[in-house]
Amino acid sequence: MSDQPNVGRVQIDDVVIRFATKQGEMTALDRTRLVLEPGTFTALIGPSGCGKSTLMNAIAGFVTPSEGRLSLDGTPITGPSNDVGVIFQQYALFPWFTALGNVRFGLKQLGLSKAEEIDRARAALDEVGLSAHADKYPQQLSGGMKQRVAIARTFVVGPKVLLMDEPFGALDAQTRISMHSLLMGVWQKHRATVLFVTHDVDEALLLADDVRVMSQAPGRMIRHYNLTEPRPRAFSRSGPNLLEIREEILGLLRPDEDLIAT
Amino acid sequence: MAVTSTSQPRPPAAVWRRPLSALASGGAPLISFAFVLGIWTIVSLLKIVPETIFPSPWSVWFATIEMWQNGTMPNDLRVSLGRAAIGFAIGASLGVLLGLMTGRVAIVRTLLNPFLNLLRPIPAIALVPVAIVWFGIGEGSKYFVVSYTVFLTVWFNTHHGMQYVPGTYLRAARSLGASKLREFVTVIIPAAAPHIFAGIRLGVALAFLSLIAAELSGASSGLGFRLQEARQYIRTDRMFSLLIILGILGATVDYVVHRIGQKLVHWEQGQ
Repeated sequence: MSDQPNVGRVQIDDVVIRFATKQGEMTALDRTRLVLEPGTFTALIGPSGCGKSTLMNAIAGFVTPSEGRLSLDGTPITGPSNDVGVIFQQYALFPWFTALGNVRFGLKQLGLSKAEEIDRARAALDEVGLSAHADKYPQQLSGGMKQRVAIARTFVVGPKVLLMDEPFGALDAQTRISMHSLLMGVWQKHRATVLFVTHDVDEALLLADDVRVMSQAPGRMIRHYNLTEPRPRAFSRSGPNLLEIREEILGLLRPDEDLIAT
Repeated sequence: MAVTSTSQPRPPAAVWRRPLSALASGGAPLISFAFVLGIWTIVSLLKIVPETIFPSPWSVWFATIEMWQNGTMPNDLRVSLGRAAIGFAIGASLGVLLGLMTGRVAIVRTLLNPFLNLLRPIPAIALVPVAIVWFGIGEGSKYFVVSYTVFLTVWFNTHHGMQYVPGTYLRAARSLGASKLREFVTVIIPAAAPHIFAGIRLGVALAFLSLIAAELSGASSGLGFRLQEARQYIRTDRMFSLLIILGILGATVDYVVHRIGQKLVHWEQGQ
């Protein structure tokens, strides 16, 4: 809604996350220190199982770190809240509600009148180009449309931080590209701090201000790129810089052939 | 490539499992009923088995008319349906309530689940003697046996459904700022609803089953009692009539409950 560049600062202080497994304790995320500045768009990239989703779940308040401290604008994160919105790869829309009903879900807590609630939800669906499908149920929508409903549902409550866990991973290439520009449009309007988990290097480079690369498990941050290229970006007109970074990241991510063989 | 194939498009397999739902759309089951009735008629005409042991379709028909006209049939139907309905209502509401609790509250689950799982394999009919001692041969024992049986099934399915509420729904609800109560009412219950309805549908079938079990031994009215009474007079025509009515009744109620379920959990039917 409004530009509030000073809220949505996520601070990750020496966070370590371990899980108990049958084989004993497993470190999912190695000691990590990171700050997400208000209104920035960070892409987190790394090999499967490197702990990038674990870090995201911790910021969302779904997982409690074993060590260290997570805070949003100085307040410790103790559990999920509507300050931190989450977009899931599998959409997580409620199939018993229509598209409009799903968007209204998050508005319920605001104590709006019914008319205003519906107006706001419709406006949010309009923003993602789905006003014509407001009364359809999720199972009647395509994957791309479902994710657009999810984006509308999350942005409508005005989160300070938006976490996206491989949100477009299940979509085809064509739909992905249109989702990228849609996301950019919505984000530039609402200006939340975004953490975008992906394993698609191109997606990371086209969308993010900061690209952070993680190591193999147990994951930790191994490289940081700050991208200043204007948006919308394309590899064809961004000069050699993006392509060089792309090669470098691909090199970092290239799995160890010896490990694969075993 | 299918030129040589003369097979016609076959009805979906579900038609055979739910004869009455297909009957409603005027389907193939009528053929099945006509076929069985035809064989029954032939067997009766050939007089292979004595009429008193295996009654003919027409004597069953006349027995039905007789029971209807002397007033026992309408009364038995009313009494039995009333017992089944009341027992079902008590059992199903308790089952859903407790299922929601054992599904969500760890302490209730720890205290009750092992015990309830021990009760589940006990057949309803085994409870009848206890029910008669506790509640006499009046309505009380029937309500008890029916509601008990329905309760266990509905509880089990509800509990099961609660266990399978997808974690991402809960995460989504919480990160959208839903309170615990709203999450429970608008996310957890709908997510478990398909299982709850499966339990309710099973419960309806079991309500009839356990009611007849209760009425067979220790009752002075109802379809089960009338069956038992017919045995004393060796009136197999009446027995057949009552059995067919039980079949039609059960299938009709099942169909109605199934359709209501489809309406209420409409999202499960979508592809």
